[in-house]
Amino acid sequence: MNSAETLYQAFASSLDVDLSEINDDLAYNSFPKWDSTAHMILVAEIEAQFDIMLDTDDIIDMSSVAKAKEILSKYEVSF
Amino acid sequence: MKLKGYQVELRQVSEIDIEMLRKWRNDPEVSQFMLDRKPISREQQSAWYKKIQRDPGQIHFVISYRDQPIGAANLKARGLGKTLDTANAIEPGLYIADKRYRNNILAFAPTLLLNDYCFNTLGTARLLAVVKASNVAALNYNQKLGYKVENEGDLLEISLTHNNYLSATKQLRSLLSR
Repeated sequence: MNSAETLYQAFASSLDVDLSEINDDLAYNSFPKWDSTAHMILVAEIEAQFDIMLDTDDIIDMSSVAKAKEILSKYEVSF
Repeated sequence: MKLKGYQVELRQVSEIDIEMLRKWRNDPEVSQFMLDRKPISREQQSAWYKKIQRDPGQIHFVISYRDQPIGAANLKARGLGKTLDTANAIEPGLYIADKRYRNNILAFAPTLLLNDYCFNTLGTARLLAVVKASNVAALNYNQKLGYKVENEGDLLEISLTHNNYLSATKQLRSLLSR
Protein backbone atom coordinates (compact mmCIF):
# COMPACT_ATOMS: atom_id res chain seq x y z
CA MET A 1 0.00 0.00 0.00
CA ASN A 2 1.41 3.45 -0.86
CA SER A 3 1.15 6.48 1.44
CA ALA A 4 -2.03 7.84 -0.11
CA GLU A 5 -3.78 4.47 0.17
CA THR A 6 -2.63 4.13 3.78
CA LEU A 7 -3.96 7.61 4.56
CA TYR A 8 -7.31 7.00 2.85
CA GLN A 9 -7.65 3.72 4.73
CA ALA A 10 -6.92 5.52 8.01
CA PHE A 11 -9.67 8.04 7.22
CA ALA A 12 -12.14 5.31 6.20
CA SER A 13 -11.63 3.25 9.35
CA SER A 14 -11.60 6.29 11.69
CA LEU A 15 -14.73 7.84 10.20
CA ASP A 16 -16.35 4.41 9.82
CA VAL A 17 -17.15 4.89 6.14
CA ASP A 18 -16.41 3.00 2.93
CA LEU A 19 -13.03 3.68 1.35
CA SER A 20 -14.80 4.90 -1.80
CA GLU A 21 -16.16 7.89 0.17
CA ILE A 22 -12.67 9.20 0.92
CA ASN A 23 -11.18 11.80 -1.40
CA ASP A 24 -8.89 14.81 -1.03
CA ASP A 25 -11.83 17.24 -0.80
CA LEU A 26 -13.36 15.56 2.24
CA ALA A 27 -13.40 18.22 4.99
CA TYR A 28 -14.10 18.37 8.70
CA ASN A 29 -16.93 20.92 8.43
CA SER A 30 -18.76 19.21 5.59
CA PHE A 31 -18.81 15.59 6.72
CA PRO A 32 -21.00 14.92 9.77
CA LYS A 33 -19.22 11.69 10.74
CA TRP A 34 -15.95 13.61 11.09
CA ASP A 35 -16.63 15.04 14.53
CA SER A 36 -14.21 15.65 17.39
CA THR A 37 -14.32 12.03 18.56
CA ALA A 38 -13.60 10.74 15.05
CA HIS A 39 -10.86 13.34 14.79
CA MET A 40 -9.11 11.94 17.88
CA ILE A 41 -9.44 8.39 16.51
CA LEU A 42 -8.10 9.61 13.17
CA VAL A 43 -5.06 11.24 14.78
CA ALA A 44 -4.26 8.02 16.66
CA GLU A 45 -4.69 5.95 13.48
CA ILE A 46 -2.48 8.22 11.36
CA GLU A 47 0.19 8.27 14.06
CA ALA A 48 0.14 4.48 14.27
CA GLN A 49 0.17 3.92 10.50
CA PHE A 50 2.97 6.39 9.77
CA ASP A 51 4.85 5.96 13.05
CA ILE A 52 4.88 9.68 13.81
CA MET A 53 3.67 12.00 16.56
CA LEU A 54 1.76 15.03 15.31
CA ASP A 55 2.18 18.47 16.90
CA THR A 56 -0.96 19.93 18.46
CA ASP A 57 -1.03 22.72 15.85
CA ASP A 58 -1.08 20.08 13.11
CA ILE A 59 -3.88 18.18 14.87
CA ILE A 60 -5.89 21.41 14.91
CA ASP A 61 -5.04 22.28 11.30
CA MET A 62 -5.89 18.86 9.86
CA SER A 63 -9.24 19.94 8.46
CA SER A 64 -9.37 17.95 5.20
CA VAL A 65 -7.77 14.95 3.55
CA ALA A 66 -5.74 17.27 1.32
CA LYS A 67 -4.56 19.20 4.39
CA ALA A 68 -3.62 15.91 6.07
CA LYS A 69 -1.37 15.11 3.10
CA GLU A 70 0.23 18.55 3.34
CA ILE A 71 0.83 18.11 7.06
CA LEU A 72 2.22 14.59 6.68
CA SER A 73 4.69 15.89 4.10
CA LYS A 74 6.31 17.85 6.96
CA TYR A 75 6.88 14.52 8.68
CA GLU A 76 8.71 13.19 5.61
CA VAL A 77 5.78 11.17 4.30
CA SER A 78 5.69 11.50 0.52
CA PHE A 79 2.59 11.22 -1.66
CA MET B 1 -6.29 38.04 34.57
CA LYS B 2 -5.08 35.49 32.03
CA LEU B 3 -5.39 31.73 31.67
CA LYS B 4 -3.13 29.92 29.25
CA GLY B 5 -3.08 26.31 28.08
CA TYR B 6 -4.24 23.82 25.46
CA GLN B 7 -2.83 26.20 22.78
CA VAL B 8 -5.18 29.08 23.67
CA GLU B 9 -5.14 32.11 25.94
CA LEU B 10 -8.08 33.51 27.86
CA ARG B 11 -7.62 37.19 28.71
CA GLN B 12 -10.08 39.04 30.91
CA VAL B 13 -12.25 41.39 28.84
CA SER B 14 -11.13 45.02 28.85
CA GLU B 15 -12.81 48.14 27.49
CA ILE B 16 -11.02 47.89 24.13
CA ASP B 17 -12.71 44.52 23.49
CA ILE B 18 -16.31 45.46 24.01
CA GLU B 19 -17.15 46.64 20.48
CA MET B 20 -15.57 43.53 18.98
CA LEU B 21 -17.58 41.39 21.40
CA ARG B 22 -20.79 43.25 20.53
CA LYS B 23 -20.26 42.63 16.80
CA TRP B 24 -19.61 38.94 17.43
CA ARG B 25 -22.59 38.63 19.75
CA ASN B 26 -24.91 40.32 17.23
CA ASP B 27 -23.87 37.96 14.42
CA PRO B 28 -26.92 35.71 13.84
CA GLU B 29 -24.62 32.71 13.46
CA VAL B 30 -23.41 33.31 17.01
CA SER B 31 -26.66 34.46 18.59
CA GLN B 32 -28.95 31.81 17.05
CA PHE B 33 -28.52 29.35 19.90
CA MET B 34 -28.42 31.88 22.74
CA LEU B 35 -31.28 32.12 25.16
CA ASP B 36 -31.53 35.88 24.54
CA ARG B 37 -31.13 36.61 20.83
CA LYS B 38 -32.03 40.31 20.81
CA PRO B 39 -29.41 42.57 19.15
CA ILE B 40 -27.28 44.52 21.61
CA SER B 41 -26.79 48.30 21.24
CA ARG B 42 -23.58 50.20 22.03
CA GLU B 43 -25.26 51.63 25.13
CA GLN B 44 -26.34 48.21 26.38
CA GLN B 45 -22.86 46.87 25.77
CA SER B 46 -21.30 49.74 27.69
CA ALA B 47 -23.71 49.20 30.60
CA TRP B 48 -22.95 45.46 30.55
CA TYR B 49 -19.22 46.15 30.75
CA LYS B 50 -19.67 48.47 33.74
CA LYS B 51 -21.80 45.83 35.47
CA ILE B 52 -19.37 42.93 35.01
CA GLN B 53 -16.46 45.00 36.30
CA ARG B 54 -18.02 45.22 39.74
CA ASP B 55 -19.64 41.79 39.86
CA PRO B 56 -17.53 39.14 41.69
CA GLY B 57 -20.02 36.51 40.54
CA GLN B 58 -18.85 36.53 36.95
CA ILE B 59 -15.77 36.90 34.80
CA HIS B 60 -15.55 37.32 31.03
CA PHE B 61 -12.68 36.46 28.71
CA VAL B 62 -11.56 36.94 25.13
CA ILE B 63 -10.22 33.68 23.65
CA SER B 64 -7.07 33.97 21.53
CA TYR B 65 -5.36 31.39 19.35
CA ARG B 66 -2.03 32.18 17.70
CA ASP B 67 -2.39 35.72 19.11
CA GLN B 68 -5.69 36.32 17.27
CA PRO B 69 -9.02 36.75 19.09
CA ILE B 70 -11.36 33.92 18.04
CA GLY B 71 -14.19 34.00 20.56
CA ALA B 72 -15.45 34.73 24.04
CA ALA B 73 -15.90 32.78 27.25
CA ASN B 74 -17.27 33.43 30.70
CA LEU B 75 -17.91 31.97 34.12
CA LYS B 76 -20.94 32.78 36.26
CA ALA B 77 -21.49 31.75 39.87
CA ARG B 78 -24.79 29.97 40.55
CA GLY B 79 -26.69 30.91 43.67
CA LEU B 80 -27.89 34.20 45.14
CA GLY B 81 -25.04 36.35 46.41
CA LYS B 82 -22.42 33.78 45.51
CA THR B 83 -19.07 34.78 44.05
CA LEU B 84 -16.89 32.64 41.83
CA ASP B 85 -14.78 31.86 44.90
CA THR B 86 -17.69 30.81 47.09
CA ALA B 87 -20.11 29.15 44.66
CA ASN B 88 -20.60 25.40 44.78
CA ALA B 89 -21.68 25.49 41.16
CA ILE B 90 -20.48 27.60 38.26
CA GLU B 91 -21.96 28.00 34.80
CA PRO B 92 -19.38 28.35 32.03
CA GLY B 93 -20.31 29.88 28.69
CA LEU B 94 -18.48 30.15 25.40
CA TYR B 95 -18.81 30.90 21.72
CA ILE B 96 -16.31 30.68 18.89
CA ALA B 97 -16.73 33.66 16.57
CA ASP B 98 -14.05 32.69 14.07
CA LYS B 99 -15.72 30.26 11.65
CA ARG B 100 -12.46 28.43 10.96
CA TYR B 101 -12.45 27.02 14.47
CA ARG B 102 -16.17 26.74 15.22
CA ASN B 103 -16.43 23.02 14.52
CA ASN B 104 -12.78 22.29 15.10
CA ILE B 105 -11.25 20.27 17.91
CA LEU B 106 -9.73 23.59 19.03
CA ALA B 107 -13.21 24.67 20.17
CA PHE B 108 -12.71 22.38 23.18
CA ALA B 109 -9.51 24.12 24.28
CA PRO B 110 -11.00 27.21 26.01
CA THR B 111 -13.52 25.02 27.82
CA LEU B 112 -10.81 22.68 29.08
CA LEU B 113 -8.92 25.69 30.37
CA LEU B 114 -12.00 27.13 32.09
CA ASN B 115 -12.95 23.76 33.59
CA ASP B 116 -9.44 23.19 34.95
CA TYR B 117 -9.55 26.65 36.50
CA CYS B 118 -12.96 26.02 38.10
CA PHE B 119 -12.15 22.57 39.49
CA ASN B 120 -8.48 23.05 40.38
CA THR B 121 -8.19 26.70 41.38
CA LEU B 122 -11.68 27.79 42.46
CA GLY B 123 -12.51 24.40 43.97
CA THR B 124 -15.92 24.27 42.32
CA ALA B 125 -17.93 21.12 43.11
CA ARG B 126 -19.76 21.02 39.81
CA LEU B 127 -20.35 22.92 36.61
CA LEU B 128 -23.81 23.56 35.22
CA ALA B 129 -25.15 24.57 31.85
CA VAL B 130 -28.51 25.17 30.24
CA VAL B 131 -28.79 24.15 26.59
CA LYS B 132 -31.70 24.46 24.18
CA ALA B 133 -32.89 20.93 23.40
CA SER B 134 -32.81 21.91 19.71
CA ASN B 135 -29.10 22.73 19.94
CA VAL B 136 -27.83 19.22 19.25
CA ALA B 137 -24.30 20.45 18.51
CA ALA B 138 -23.98 22.10 21.93
CA LEU B 139 -25.42 19.06 23.67
CA ASN B 140 -22.98 16.74 21.88
CA TYR B 141 -20.14 19.11 22.66
CA ASN B 142 -20.97 19.15 26.37
CA GLN B 143 -21.54 15.41 26.57
CA LYS B 144 -18.05 14.88 25.14
CA LEU B 145 -16.79 16.93 28.08
CA GLY B 146 -18.55 14.54 30.47
CA TYR B 147 -21.75 16.53 31.17
CA LYS B 148 -24.85 14.53 32.16
CA VAL B 149 -28.44 15.64 31.52
CA GLU B 150 -30.23 16.46 34.79
CA ASN B 151 -33.57 17.86 33.63
CA GLU B 152 -35.26 17.28 30.28
CA GLY B 153 -37.46 19.85 28.51
CA ASP B 154 -37.17 22.56 25.87
CA LEU B 155 -34.24 23.71 27.95
CA LEU B 156 -31.94 20.97 29.17
CA GLU B 157 -30.07 21.33 32.44
CA ILE B 158 -26.76 19.52 32.35
CA SER B 159 -24.05 19.16 34.98
CA LEU B 160 -20.44 18.08 35.24
CA THR B 161 -18.44 16.76 38.18
CA HIS B 162 -14.66 16.82 38.35
CA ASN B 163 -14.38 13.03 38.06
CA ASN B 164 -16.68 12.85 35.05
CA TYR B 165 -14.74 15.69 33.44
CA LEU B 166 -11.37 14.02 33.97
CA SER B 167 -12.44 10.64 32.66
CA ALA B 168 -14.32 12.02 29.61
CA THR B 169 -11.55 14.35 28.46
CA LYS B 170 -8.36 12.40 29.09
CA GLN B 171 -7.57 11.94 25.39
CA LEU B 172 -8.74 15.41 24.41
CA ARG B 173 -6.58 17.09 27.06
CA SER B 174 -3.62 15.02 25.99
CA LEU B 175 -3.98 15.91 22.29
CA LEU B 176 -4.36 19.62 22.97
CA SER B 177 -1.47 19.91 25.39
CA ARG B 178 1.41 18.23 23.56
